[in-house]
Parts: sequence; C-alpha cells; structure tokens
Amino acid sequence: MREPRDHREARPTSTGAGRVLVAVYGIFALSATARAGVQIATKFSLAPLAYLLSALAGVVYILATVGLASTRPWSRPLAWTAVAFELAGVLVVGTLTVLDTGDFPDDTVWSVYGRGYGFIPLVLPLVGLWWLRRTGRTGSTGGTGGAGPHPAR
Amino acid sequence: MIGTLALATIVACGVLAAFGLSLTAAGRVPGRELRIAAWAVVALLAVQAAIAAVRAFGVTLPEQSTFLIYLVVSVCVLPIAVQFAFADPSRWGGAVIAVGAVATLVAVLRMQGLWAAGA
Repeated sequence: MREPRDHREARPTSTGAGRVLVAVYGIFALSATARAGVQIATKFSLAPLAYLLSALAGVVYILATVGLASTRPWSRPLAWTAVAFELAGVLVVGTLTVLDTGDFPDDTVWSVYGRGYGFIPLVLPLVGLWWLRRTGRTGSTGGTGGAGPHPAR
Repeated sequence: MIGTLALATIVACGVLAAFGLSLTAAGRVPGRELRIAAWAVVALLAVQAAIAAVRAFGVTLPEQSTFLIYLVVSVCVLPIAVQFAFADPSRWGGAVIAVGAVATLVAVLRMQGLWAAGA
C-alpha cells in the first residue's frame, strides 16, 4: 500500500535499464539477420542447416527486440516467448555443437553457446527473462490488484 | 583500408563507450557532451566508410558483401543508439550509447580483418 503505484502493475520493459537490454537485442537482431542473409545469399548449399538456423536466430532476436521495445498488449507475451525460445535455442545448439560439429560445419550465432559472440547469446536470454519477470505484473494475470503489496524482485 | 584512420575510429569508439559507461556509473543523465562526442565519432566513421567504399571497388575482397554490410553498420548503429538513448532520458542513456559504440568497434575490427585478408 505504501509502495509506489508503478510497482503494482507491469512496468514498460523499455525504460531505464531496459533500454540497454533493448539496445543489445537490437544489435543482435541486426547482426544475426545480416549474417544469415549473406550466408544464404552467397553460399547456402555449403551448410543449409546452419544458415537456416542463423536466419531463425535472427528472427527470434527481431521478435524479442520488438517485444521488449514496445508497450502493446501483445508485447510482453511476445517477448517472453521469443526470449524463452532464444534460451532453448542457445542451449540446444550450443550442446549439439559441443558434442558434434558435423551437423554445423559453419558457425551460427548459437554455436558453442555463442562463443563467437563473447558468450553474450548465452547470457542475454537469462538477463531478458530476469528483466521480464522483474518488470512484470506483481499479481497473477487478470488479478484486480487484490493480491496486496508484493516486493518487486 | 587505411591503418591510421581505422585505428583512430577504434580508439574513438572505445573512448565513447568508456565515456557513456562512466556517466551511467556516476548516475548522470547524458547531456550535450555525450551527444557531441557521439556525433564526432559518427563523422569519423563516415569519412572512413566513404574512403573504404571507394577503395573496396578497386580490390577483390574475399567477402565483398559482408564487408559492405559492416561498412553500413559501422555508420548507422551509433546515430540510432543516440536517438534511442536520448528519447528516454535516464542514467542508462550513457550505457545505451556504450552498447552502440562497442558494436561499432566490433564492426570496424571485422572490416579490418576482411580487408587484411584480401589485401
């Protein structure tokens, strides 16, 4: 009750420190998409799976950036989905590439847990999920605020 | 590419990133100084990109399209970061510009690598 009003409802994900997160996501959206575009346009037959995966990663980063940067009703679900998918992607692809490089002859953003990108692809979804949780509604969805004060985490 | 100019842009990006981060660490909302510093770096990048673009058509690089994409990225990222940082003034604006500066730095380094491989 004595809490500031903005702690009761979901805060926009693109304010304050969230803008840094959006900026990093934007950079990854740009670099992953551009990289996939060049790979698919110039040497697709060399490693189709790896390049399609690069393109998928690019799309996921774009969706995460849009979800985190905007404040529409669909923004937060979109961001949750994209960031969770990103985490799954980097873990699955990272593990596969550590175990066996055969299927991925050329690097993707997520190869070896994002080693080519300073492991940022591994850390980014964790930070993203934490931020979504932190800025999220403190009560359950659809609640009328009757849940009472709940410290923002 | 041109060694000294590339080195200058790399150093300038590094200094800009450090400046932005120091503002965030100090809890200060970025003002005129950071905006001017960022645009000065962009001017340097634009000069480099113009010269590199002209020279890139005279040589055969291993990955010409990749090089040109990095070229465009190196010029475009910082102006977007500046707009984004100043649209919502807070202490985090400096860090946003630092992210743009580091990304630009990486793009310039990659360009250098591709150029060295082709020359």
